[in-house]
Amino acid sequence: MATATGVYHTTYGKDLALRHTRAEYVRLALLAGLAIWLPFNLSPYWLGWTNLILMATIAAVGLNILTGYTGLVSLATAGFLGVGAYTAANLRTFFHWPMIPAVLVASGMAALIGAFFGLPALRLKGLYLAISTFAAQEILSERFRSWKRLTRGHGTITNNPPKFAGHSFTSKFEWYWLLLVITGLVVWGSINLFRTGLGRSFVAIRDQDIAAEVMGVPVGRYKVIAFSLACGLAGFSGALQSFYPDTLTVTWESYEIDRSFLFVAMIIIGGLGSVSGAVYGAAFLTWLPNYINQFGARLQTSSFKFLIQRLSAIQLGVFGLVLVLFLLVEPRGLARLWQRAKDYFRLWPFRY
Amino acid sequence: MNRFARRFLALPLCFALITGVACGSSKKNDAAKGADTSKSEIKVGAIFDLSGATADIGTPYSEGIRDYIDYKNASGGVEGHKLALSWQDFKYDPTLAGQLYGQYISEGAKVFMGWGTADTEALRPRVTSDKVPFMSASNAETLTDPSVTPYNFFPGASYSQQMRIVLQYISDKNKGKKVGVAVFHHDSPFGTSPLEDGKKYIADKKLDIDFKTYAMPKGATDYVAQIGQAKAAGAKYIIVQNVPSPAAVLATNLAAAKTDIQLVCLNYCGNEIFVKKAGAAAEKMIAVVPFAPPVAGGTGLDEINTYLKPKGTDATAKGQGYVQGWYTMAVMIEGIKNALAAGGELNGEGIKAGLEKIKDFKTGVSDPITFSATYHAGLLSAPLYQVEGGQFKKIQDPIKVEK
Repeated sequence: MATATGVYHTTYGKDLALRHTRAEYVRLALLAGLAIWLPFNLSPYWLGWTNLILMATIAAVGLNILTGYTGLVSLATAGFLGVGAYTAANLRTFFHWPMIPAVLVASGMAALIGAFFGLPALRLKGLYLAISTFAAQEILSERFRSWKRLTRGHGTITNNPPKFAGHSFTSKFEWYWLLLVITGLVVWGSINLFRTGLGRSFVAIRDQDIAAEVMGVPVGRYKVIAFSLACGLAGFSGALQSFYPDTLTVTWESYEIDRSFLFVAMIIIGGLGSVSGAVYGAAFLTWLPNYINQFGARLQTSSFKFLIQRLSAIQLGVFGLVLVLFLLVEPRGLARLWQRAKDYFRLWPFRY
Repeated sequence: MNRFARRFLALPLCFALITGVACGSSKKNDAAKGADTSKSEIKVGAIFDLSGATADIGTPYSEGIRDYIDYKNASGGVEGHKLALSWQDFKYDPTLAGQLYGQYISEGAKVFMGWGTADTEALRPRVTSDKVPFMSASNAETLTDPSVTPYNFFPGASYSQQMRIVLQYISDKNKGKKVGVAVFHHDSPFGTSPLEDGKKYIADKKLDIDFKTYAMPKGATDYVAQIGQAKAAGAKYIIVQNVPSPAAVLATNLAAAKTDIQLVCLNYCGNEIFVKKAGAAAEKMIAVVPFAPPVAGGTGLDEINTYLKPKGTDATAKGQGYVQGWYTMAVMIEGIKNALAAGGELNGEGIKAGLEKIKDFKTGVSDPITFSATYHAGLLSAPLYQVEGGQFKKIQDPIKVEK
């Protein structure tokens, strides 16, 4: 390997391939091995978090399609998670639908509403668009809080766990496999999306929308499609969460603006314009606050007990510090960090 | 080392440091556990809001709970059993609450102390199916019916009950006159929870009250418009169902509007945090408080002050939330004591029965607390206080109304 001067493609087929080197296949096999090994070796607590990471990944991938690939900022991810969750829980609890159609209709609903709120993107760009999606988020969270009919006056909806052939799906272990397959499909689909004309058009719009228009890309329509894809995936993730045993209760507090910011942070930390970056970001940002929290809990019995009163401030501080460090050290995210690590070892002992 | 390698190594190094410290402290943790008493520990799980939306009242409440456990353990525990409290800050995030609940229950927690509406609602179905007695500071009337939520308890008076008490008080003060009442509430299920019951109480008792409700939008910087509407509608009283910070803004606006409208707070803004934030505007505010603020005195504070004295502080400095936390934990422990007295293995069903046996449990800062197999809120009555010179003065003995 060290003697090769780079990876060159000699046919169009090879150029389009998702994996070019043997190392990439090895990595895929290792990853698959890890995915199979994990659920047998994690405590239920961390398995629960792994499942939440898998669900967050779906929405983060969606947001990265919109923000990272198409260049349209959205601050409304949490709102659309909510649309998915409330729709699915409504269909399941009040109309007794089975899980699969309920999740599909909920995702469709989120996609539809997403397309509607994506309309301002036809006229607005950058920060202006961010503000219009912020408005969408506020409208949606207001509806979740005070629309009585949404929850039949209870304020929250508690969903019923899914049942297949008389078996209730309530264990984290079973859910892990289900989510692994679903998230795997979403990630695989999204990577492939950018080998199609649609995906390439998204990238063209991000890089220079006027040039894209000149080349014959229907910019307006594709922007709306990007919105509806991203919001649909967010809704899909929200709908799944409403069926997941640990988050069966759908309550408005889960779909506030701070969660939207968390998703934006995920794709920035993970790497804008990279599907795998969205996966890394979702994993990192779901895991980190929780890890800091666990660390804080250990302080309770340690000799640093006097820090307890300052614990919450320390936790927020460490979280912020890590984010800032990341942005300083590698503004293009975890995906880029991984890329550089690979390059470093491939080119070693040369610099480039 | 070149530039890249430095960058590449910086982050793992950071984590290695964090992990190192974490591992070090966990060893100490194990060592501490080695010193065990003869009787088994009773595990208590808890989540507190120390950095989320309700951290202002969540923090003193959590200290009250932690200190009570400490106090109880120092005096020998419950019937010789030490209490082991596991807790974390859940940042008012229902998802995190769910994860922590799962963790503590799998570690063997027999009872669970929740906090607000979000986590209580999110955990309601799991508490029921796991049979874990659950106590929180969410006083929604929907949690009081054991046929629906058999394992949810709270020691105070429900929001609906507080609303009925205030309406009865207003009606008694204005005999033979029609009174306009405006309810300003948090724009959420927490805020709207007592509204329907209030309307129903007016209709059932045929009170001569004109009842109107106004939502307080989240993040609003003033409520001048809503006050104007309430004034135009002829309101003489504004009842507030909200947390201290927005309530203080409302009080300031109301003072600036120079009306004769009387402000009445339900328990989550009837505390020192509100008085501190509202300053002079808090004067004459009336509050219905099931657990008396420490400045108002009460025999129940002696126990707390004895505990706090060596630490160089007292209940007044800690505030109303602290007292509420302290006695919430005390009531839960009383239930465990009853369950232990009944014999057999200590489990959720036993503690639930033990809690339902609690009758006239004296706290000294509230009316005696009673649970029954048909009603899981500890109080039906509450006194009214008024702010005078920045201090709470009792103006009305506990009013007891039908639920």
